[in-house]
Amino acid sequence: MPSPTIVASPGLSSFLKSLKSTPVEASIEHLISLLKRRQIRNSRPCAVATAQLLLRVVSAFRWTDVSRLIERIQLVGQRLQAAQPRELSIGNIVRRILGLVREEAEEDRDADASALSEPGTDSQPGTPRISGVRPPLSSSISTLSPLRHGAIEPLDPTVAEPDTAKFVADSAQRPPLLTSHTSYAASATAPMATSMFSLLSHPETPSSTATPSGTQSPSGRPTSATQAVFASLTQKDLRPEVIGGIEEIIDELDQVDEQIAGYALDHIHSNEIILTHTSSMTVQKFLLTAARKRKFTVVHAEAYPNDHEATHATVTGKMVNENQDELSSEAFQKPLTAAGITVILIPDSAVFALMSRVNKVILGTHAVLANGGLVAAAGTRAIAKAAKTHKTPVVVVSGVYKLSPVYPFDFESLIEFGDVSKVFSYEDGDLVEKVDVENPLFDYVPAELVDLYITNLGGHAPSYLYRIVADHYRVEDINI
Amino acid sequence: MAAAQKSSTKPSSKDDFDIVETYQRLLREDPDLTMPVAAIESLVELLSRSDARTISETLDLLAISTLHLKRSIPNPISLSAGTDLFQRYLITTLQRPGQLGPAGDFGAIRAHLLSNGRLFVQRAKASREKIASFGRHFVRDGATVLTNGGSRVVGALLKSAAESSAASLRFRVIYVLSSQTSSASNGIQRVETKEEGLATVAALRAKGVPVATIPESAVGYSLGKVDMVIVGAEGVVENGGIISRLGTYQIGLLAKAAGKPFYVVAESHKFVRLYPLSQYDLPIEQRVIDFKTTADTEKDKGTASDGVPDASSPETKQAYASTVDDAVDYTPPDLISALITESGVLTPSAVSEELIKIWF
Repeated sequence: MPSPTIVASPGLSSFLKSLKSTPVEASIEHLISLLKRRQIRNSRPCAVATAQLLLRVVSAFRWTDVSRLIERIQLVGQRLQAAQPRELSIGNIVRRILGLVREEAEEDRDADASALSEPGTDSQPGTPRISGVRPPLSSSISTLSPLRHGAIEPLDPTVAEPDTAKFVADSAQRPPLLTSHTSYAASATAPMATSMFSLLSHPETPSSTATPSGTQSPSGRPTSATQAVFASLTQKDLRPEVIGGIEEIIDELDQVDEQIAGYALDHIHSNEIILTHTSSMTVQKFLLTAARKRKFTVVHAEAYPNDHEATHATVTGKMVNENQDELSSEAFQKPLTAAGITVILIPDSAVFALMSRVNKVILGTHAVLANGGLVAAAGTRAIAKAAKTHKTPVVVVSGVYKLSPVYPFDFESLIEFGDVSKVFSYEDGDLVEKVDVENPLFDYVPAELVDLYITNLGGHAPSYLYRIVADHYRVEDINI
Repeated sequence: MAAAQKSSTKPSSKDDFDIVETYQRLLREDPDLTMPVAAIESLVELLSRSDARTISETLDLLAISTLHLKRSIPNPISLSAGTDLFQRYLITTLQRPGQLGPAGDFGAIRAHLLSNGRLFVQRAKASREKIASFGRHFVRDGATVLTNGGSRVVGALLKSAAESSAASLRFRVIYVLSSQTSSASNGIQRVETKEEGLATVAALRAKGVPVATIPESAVGYSLGKVDMVIVGAEGVVENGGIISRLGTYQIGLLAKAAGKPFYVVAESHKFVRLYPLSQYDLPIEQRVIDFKTTADTEKDKGTASDGVPDASSPETKQAYASTVDDAVDYTPPDLISALITESGVLTPSAVSEELIKIWF
């Protein structure tokens, strides 16, 4: 999926290099212009750039009150997202960092004044989050997934968050009736933990009815005076926590492909015929990991006209991905053929004909939406549909950072249209005036065409994605 | 704690308070009230009348009254969502350590519930507004929405969509109105259009939204012009399916066949712990399919022709409750694209999680 830019041109690496030396405001403008000119494109480079920039923003920003920091991040996030609204990963990273700040602030406040107050937030009063259980460590997020771990320590959340997870703590303290149920109760610490009870809970701010929050705190809201005290208390030790959290997100972005590839052996078996499409780094690593232990055949559809060159390069092992050059070792990895795998390169038009012989379709994606649908390279929907017709399982590999809380009200707006000349050369200028030529870069694939998502947290059914969204993003951040 | 006392308080509190009457009065007085909230209200009122002083007394009283209420209402599915929610709320609140728990004062929780009865109703109505604000985004410019029944949430959603950006957002509504043969059993076949949907239709038309009303038989015909289906629900069951007015299931099937998204709008207090396996697995008696021979119809006419059928006689009342007018059907989750609730847009599988959270 590399854009056809020459290596010397500005991109992610030049941006990251300049980040340290440039003042924050100039860096923001720099990234906005890079995004607007598509010099940084695709989910991961956008996510990395956003995370690095926000890390810089947080460390450079002088703040006395957490709400000021949140406002600042929101403002920067809005500008970045506005620069490139179709790169959903920008918004995802901004939302996660916002969630991180809010959580640190609440945790801190709880620790400071658990006896005094409910865990209110600064900017959005009345929307405290019941589960502060989501730890900032990316590796420990995975333990929250009940699909992956059948039984989680029931008392785990109560230890982590004695105050806010009151309801959950109760259910864990009660004698377990059925093991499966207790494990659910323990892991059921999504932001909407007690949303059904919100109808009956103690009267607080009226907005708390609707927001999925656990406002069951018996005491009233803290006064603004006490809030100010908390703010000053929290201010001093929050910064390293937030910065540490953002660094963990950046680490996660680095490791996400390896984590996903760790599940490869569960899904790829010997002598299978796997079909894939375009040149996705995640899919390549996934297949390579399986290739270490097993022999199988890969049918690679080339994704003409936008990604076919990159696909050919992937197959032949000449992948030089200028967007990924911060991962210099991976950028020049061995092709699948070197690992002893039979690779068959086919044009997209042959997909349906070959599908009857394919065991499994493994796809990369550009973004995953909250309803389980996905936005992926053009041609993906046709492949998914062909797979559905032949009852071939469709597996989508995607990092959690691509999972967006956006609901595709009209997915047409998410689809980007690219360079027409790739379809129809401008040399035939006379004809261009007579025909409409379009080159969509992406496809929207509805959730029912996908059988399984593999993220760095494990395998999930499309209908389960709402839960991962709830675990990673906070309701108040869904609109940045 | 004081299980011995409960037998003495039980009859006295039931004598002077009729929960069924209260429930029906609440529903009559406020047409905007949903059945689960009315049930919660009735239980709150029951608590205020009772002199139960201990937890087990209270829970016992609630259990008995709930059972009584459920037995007296022909279709208790929706209200049971409210009573269950109330009961679970009480139990979890009582078990929670803290001011309102067993360590604290039982009177505090009671006082909270009693003093905030109106608040619950307000919140229930507020959640309707919240859903409307969520769901508004589903209605896109130029879209045609098909809906049915008299759901107040759907009405609120469409009105909110019409108000939100009246200048830019143009959408059309196809409203399925059930014209039904009412009281077929008494021999007089009257075809009348349900009036409950008409209020919404009129309100939408007043806001400048073009509305077409069609009979249920025209759903399949109209679906080609429809972009999405939005329906309300009486209850949302554990597997994510919905229990809704008779006819919703067939709209769902048709929408699935036509590849149109089928959205359900429902407040989360309508989630009910029920797992129906088929249409006929609902815990209510419905006489929708009524096999008859000529001999049976003759006999019916004989009894009914004596006079005007009056709803007060117990037999007719029972029959009326189970006619097609009030009947419900079950729409399985695989027909539902998404549930729009006040806590966000959920997939059908999220419902079981919400229920598990309050029950376990």
